[in-house]
Amino acid sequence: MKLSALFQILVLLLFALPGAKGASNDGPSSPRDESVRPADRSDDDLFAKANTEFAAGDFKAAIADYQAVVGSGDWSANLFYDLGNAYFRHGDFGRAILNYDRALRLDQHHPEADANLRIAHDQAHSLELAPSTLDRYLNFGTAGFFAIVAAIFFWLAIIFLILRPGRVLWAIVGMFLAAICGFAAYRLENGTHGQGLAIVTAENAEARVATVDSARSVLALPAGSEVVILQERGDWNYAALPNDQRGWVSASAVEKVQL
Amino acid sequence: MFRQVLFSVLLASATAQFARGDSPKITAVLTSSDVVVGETVQLQIQIDNVGTSVKPPSEIDVPGLQIHYTGESTQMTMRNFAISSSINYSYTILPEKSGIYKIPPQSIRVGKDTLQTPVLTLRVADSPRAAAGTGSNRAPSANTQAGEDKIAFAELLVPKKTAYVGEIIPVVVRIGFNSRARVAEMAPPQLSGQGFTVQKLGEGERNLENIDGRSYVVFNYKTAISAARVGKFQIGPVEQKANILVPRRSSGARRKPFDPFTEDPFSDPFFTLPFGGLMEQHEIGVKSDPVSLEVKALPGGAPPTFSGAVGSFSMTAEANPKRVQIGDPITIKAAISGRGNFDRMNAPELSDERGWHKYPPSSNFKQDDDVGISGTKTFELVVSPNEKLTNVPPLAFSYFDPVKEKYVTLPSEAMPLIVEGNAPAAPAIAGTTPGASAPPAPGGQQKAQDILHQINERGKIISSFAPFYARKEFWLAQLLPLAFALGLMGWKVQNVRASNRAALRAAQLQHERDALLRKLRRDQLAPREYFSDASRLVQLKTALKQTNIEPATVDAETAARVFDLNAEQSERMRRLFATSDEFRYSGAGNGEGALSSHGQRETLELIESLP
Repeated sequence: MKLSALFQILVLLLFALPGAKGASNDGPSSPRDESVRPADRSDDDLFAKANTEFAAGDFKAAIADYQAVVGSGDWSANLFYDLGNAYFRHGDFGRAILNYDRALRLDQHHPEADANLRIAHDQAHSLELAPSTLDRYLNFGTAGFFAIVAAIFFWLAIIFLILRPGRVLWAIVGMFLAAICGFAAYRLENGTHGQGLAIVTAENAEARVATVDSARSVLALPAGSEVVILQERGDWNYAALPNDQRGWVSASAVEKVQL
Repeated sequence: MFRQVLFSVLLASATAQFARGDSPKITAVLTSSDVVVGETVQLQIQIDNVGTSVKPPSEIDVPGLQIHYTGESTQMTMRNFAISSSINYSYTILPEKSGIYKIPPQSIRVGKDTLQTPVLTLRVADSPRAAAGTGSNRAPSANTQAGEDKIAFAELLVPKKTAYVGEIIPVVVRIGFNSRARVAEMAPPQLSGQGFTVQKLGEGERNLENIDGRSYVVFNYKTAISAARVGKFQIGPVEQKANILVPRRSSGARRKPFDPFTEDPFSDPFFTLPFGGLMEQHEIGVKSDPVSLEVKALPGGAPPTFSGAVGSFSMTAEANPKRVQIGDPITIKAAISGRGNFDRMNAPELSDERGWHKYPPSSNFKQDDDVGISGTKTFELVVSPNEKLTNVPPLAFSYFDPVKEKYVTLPSEAMPLIVEGNAPAAPAIAGTTPGASAPPAPGGQQKAQDILHQINERGKIISSFAPFYARKEFWLAQLLPLAFALGLMGWKVQNVRASNRAALRAAQLQHERDALLRKLRRDQLAPREYFSDASRLVQLKTALKQTNIEPATVDAETAARVFDLNAEQSERMRRLFATSDEFRYSGAGNGEGALSSHGQRETLELIESLP
C-alpha cells in the first residue's frame, strides 16, 4: 500500500466525523454559511426581532433579545457580533469588546467582528494584552488546526511503524512533530488569548494587590481591557494584567470570553 | 600568609577556567575628574578576565601631574562554577598646577594581546571654590540616595510633572553602584503605581559616571508611561534589591554587621594591601523617591477626526493605482511619523467620503527608539470609487499636541486620480445599514469611527466554546484511524502467519520429495509401489513449483503445464500417471516381479528432469 494513499485516507478519516457534525469552528467557514442546523424556531424569531429593534435604534431591547438567544445555548459568531454592535451603540464598550471577542473565538476569520473590535478598543481606550513571542509565532494557526495536525502526525507515525517496523527513526520523527503540534495547541489555548482571557466590563475597575476593596491598586482597568484569569477565589479573580503585572480583580468586573 | 597560600591554590585550580574564559577587557577610571591643585586623585586600571601574565605601566608621564604607582589588587569571583578574575592597578595623581590634563592611552600587555586604556581627562582648579564652579553639570536629584558614604542609589527621572490623558511620558530608572563594588545579581527594576500604564522596561544600559566626586556604575532602564485617567498620581517608588560583592574585611579587626548605607566598605585596609583578601556578597536594597504626576483631561473642542493620538506627528500619503475603474480598490498608504502614543492612533480619514467605499484599514508600526514612543506608523486604507472622480480627497489626521496644548489637524495633499467606467457601482460594504445609521453612542465626544453593519443571518450554530481537541467529536474521530491502524496491524499479522504456513508446507513437501527420490533411486520396488511413488513425486514437485496447487490434485496435464514440457515428455508423463492409476485401481502388479531397470531409469530421468 502506498504511503501517500494511506495519508489521504487518514486525513479523510480525521476530517470526516467532525466535519459531518459541524463541530469545528476553526476552519475558514463563511460567517454567512447557509448550511444552518435546523434551529429552534423561536430563537430565529427572537434573533430577527432583535435585528429589527437594532435597526430601529432600540438598542436596549435588541440587547435583551440577543441575550435571550445567547441564553438558549445555540450560539453563532454572527449572534455575538450583532450583540457586540448593540452594546457598542448603547455605549457599553466593555461588553461590545467582550462579544466581538466571542464572535472571533467562534470564527477566527470574521472580518466584521475584527474591524469593529479594533474600533471598540480605540473608543474605549482599553488596555490590551501583548501576546508573548511564542504566541506571536504560533498565531498563524488555531489550537484546532494544531490539534488536527498533531493527530495526523501521530497516526502517520503509528501506521508507518506498523508497515515498516524497521524504520523506527521516521516514527520517532512523526511522534516528535505530533508532540510539537500538541504543545502548540495547548499553548494557544492556555496562552494570552486562550481560555483564561477575560474582558473588563465594569467602569472604573482596578486590579489590586489583595482581595479587598481598600487594598492598594496595581492598575486601573478601563472597560474593555483584557486580562487573563489565573485563579478564581470567591468574589475575586487573580489575573495577569496588560502591564505585565498581576493583581486581584473583582469577579463582577470581568467576564470570560469563553462561555 | 595563609590567605596568600589560599589565593595561590585557588589561582592554580582556576587556570583552566581562565583559559577558556572571555577575552581580557580593560577599563580605566579616575576617582574624580575635577580636583584642585594639591589634592590627590586615584587612577585605577582594571583588567577583567585575566588568565596570563600582565605587565602594567610602571610610569605614566604627564607634564604637570605627578603619577605614582601605588599597588595592585586582585579580585576573584565564582558564579556557576565559572571563575573570573580581575586585576586593579592603582596610581596616585598629584596635580602640580591648574589646567585640563589628558592622560594618554596606556598600553598593557596581557599574554599575547596588547590592551589600551581610554584617554582620561582631569580638570585641575586653583582652589576649592574654582573646582566647585567647574563641577559636573549633572543636577542633583531630589530622590537620589547616593550620599557621601552610600554604596548604591536609585533614581526615577520623569521629565514632566503634568501631562494629559493618553500622553506618553518617557521615564528613566537609574540604579547606580559604587564602581568598586561588583554587581553579582540584579533583576530589572519594576515601576509601580496606579492610573497609568507602563511599557516594558528595556535592557539596562551600563555607564560609568562620576557623581559628586565618586565613581558609579549606573544602569539606565528606559521606559514610557501613559496616563489612563485624570487625577494626581504617584509614580514609583522604584525599589530594587541586588546582590553585590564587596571586599572582605580584615580578619584582625572586630567586625560589626554590615550596613551599606552607614558604612563605607572601601575604608577597609584591603584597598591598600595587595592580595589583602577576597570578596564577600551582600544583599542590598535601594529605593528611589516617588514622583508625582498630575494628569489633565484633554481640552474640549476636538476636531471630528481626532481619535486619541497625543504627541507631535507629521503625515505623508500616497495612493495607488492612479488609474482605475469604478469599483476598483485603491490603496492609500499614509505614514504618520513623530513621537507620541502610537498605540492609540487610528488611521487618518478621508476629508470627503462621498462617492467612496471604505474598507477597514491595516497598520504597521516601526519604532525608532527602545521604548516605542517615536517611530512611523503606516496605515493602508483601501477605498474604491463609486463614481467618476478626479482625485482622492485629502486625508485628515488630528492629534493633540501637549507642548502647544492644542489640537492639530494634518491634511494630506489631494491625490490625482483617473476613474474610468460608466455605471455607478453598488455599495460593496454597507457601512450605512439602518443599524449603522442609528444615532451615535451616548457619551461620544468626538466623531467616532463607525462600526460595520449588522448581519441578519445567524450563521453556523455552535454549541461549545471548548477547544477542538477538548471535544468528544475530536476524540471520536480518533476511533477511525485507531480502527484503521488496528485493522492494518491484524492484516500484517495475518500476512506473517500465512507466510509462515506456506514456508512450513513447502518444507514438508520438500522433505517428502527428497525421501521419495531417495526411495526411487535406491530400492527395488514393486511396480505398483514404484509408479505410485513416482506419480506422487511429480505431484510434490509440481506443488513446490506452483505454491497454490494442492499436490493431490496434480495430474499429468497439470504437471506438463506447470513444467512446460514438450510433447514427448508430456506423453511420458501421461503414461506415468496412467500406469500408476492402472496399478492402483486394477490390482495388477501387486508383488509381481520387479520393474525392468530400463523402465525404472526412464521414469527416474523424467522425474529428475523436472526443475
